[in-house]
Amino acid sequence: MDATNLIDDLSATLRKQMERARLVRAMPAEILLHRPAPEKWNALEIFEHMCLSSGIYLRGLERVFDERASALPFNADFKPGLLGDYFTKGMLPKEDGTIRNRMKTMRMFDPPRNNGASQESIDRFIDLCGRFLKLLERARSSDLNRMKVSSSLGPIIRFKAGDAFRFPVAHQQRHFLQVERTLEAAHAGH
Amino acid sequence: MIMDLVRRTIERYVRLTDDDWSRVAPCWTDHAFSKGALISKVGEVEQRFYIVKSGVQRLSFPHDGEDICVGFSYDGSWSGAFDSFVTRKPSRFDVRAVTDSVLFGIAHADLQGLYDGLSVMERFGRLILEELLVGRATREIEQLSLSAEERYHRLVARSPKLLQLVPQKDIASYLRMKPETFSRLRARRS
Repeated sequence: MDATNLIDDLSATLRKQMERARLVRAMPAEILLHRPAPEKWNALEIFEHMCLSSGIYLRGLERVFDERASALPFNADFKPGLLGDYFTKGMLPKEDGTIRNRMKTMRMFDPPRNNGASQESIDRFIDLCGRFLKLLERARSSDLNRMKVSSSLGPIIRFKAGDAFRFPVAHQQRHFLQVERTLEAAHAGH
Repeated sequence: MIMDLVRRTIERYVRLTDDDWSRVAPCWTDHAFSKGALISKVGEVEQRFYIVKSGVQRLSFPHDGEDICVGFSYDGSWSGAFDSFVTRKPSRFDVRAVTDSVLFGIAHADLQGLYDGLSVMERFGRLILEELLVGRATREIEQLSLSAEERYHRLVARSPKLLQLVPQKDIASYLRMKPETFSRLRARRS
């Protein structure tokens, strides 16, 4: 796929997510804490979950960009890795906005079992999107094929840098649908 | 509406005119903390003084690898690491949301501004300090003079709700007894 197009698409999606996050941040505390069901996450916990999961890719990308990005020449073509592509596609919502396959959260990414969540989780999410965007700008003169990053599934599965952007952004897309459903339930319940 | 709680809480101590209130109200903001989230952290300066709208929070400090619980806050009571808030030095306490919590908070500079600008608020400040001091003294005497069983009965009489909302190990730690002693007392009672 065309690397510049990919960078443009990912950046546009991240900007939309940031913008929406800012609006959600300003909502009343009760709405943000509303749980659609006792065992379900509230909106804050969804943001915290995104921070925990996407943070792994962000830190990996920042490290590898600092080490290698400026030494690599621009490559206009990005070829997704086999696994990176498979996991990204599994994450993305379908055309009609529904979610493909439900999955269980790994323990380390479950906010209630870690350090909870607060409005600060949304602040951190916004910061995280900004850092992804900065890296994407640097990617315009580098090679997304030749840098590799450990995935959130563990260091055995490594993604190409391009997939290490695509996967968390798709994962966030999926969870933004959940944020909207959770907020709808909160408004209906108040 | 949402701020009524703040006004009612302040008016337990002093009477505010509508004019006073129009200067006090904008200083308070609502904060959402999901179950398990840290509201204040050991080593960080407490930014706000809180009034609890809903939920239960736990005040504790780490000691010898253990978390020693020194108090709880709930509906209508104060919360936060007050000593750090006052001294502007790093907190020696953690404050954690035991259940989903909504707190109203005021920043240090804003509260100082109100103290300086409104004598009625300065009186409010003095009265809550007096109350906090009396509370500490009472607890100190209870800690040093009552038996474990007596401390338990005091707590049941004073805040029966707490026993349902807070994990047993936190209450045991608060009462300075072993978890086994606590469950024995609890079993005997029911």
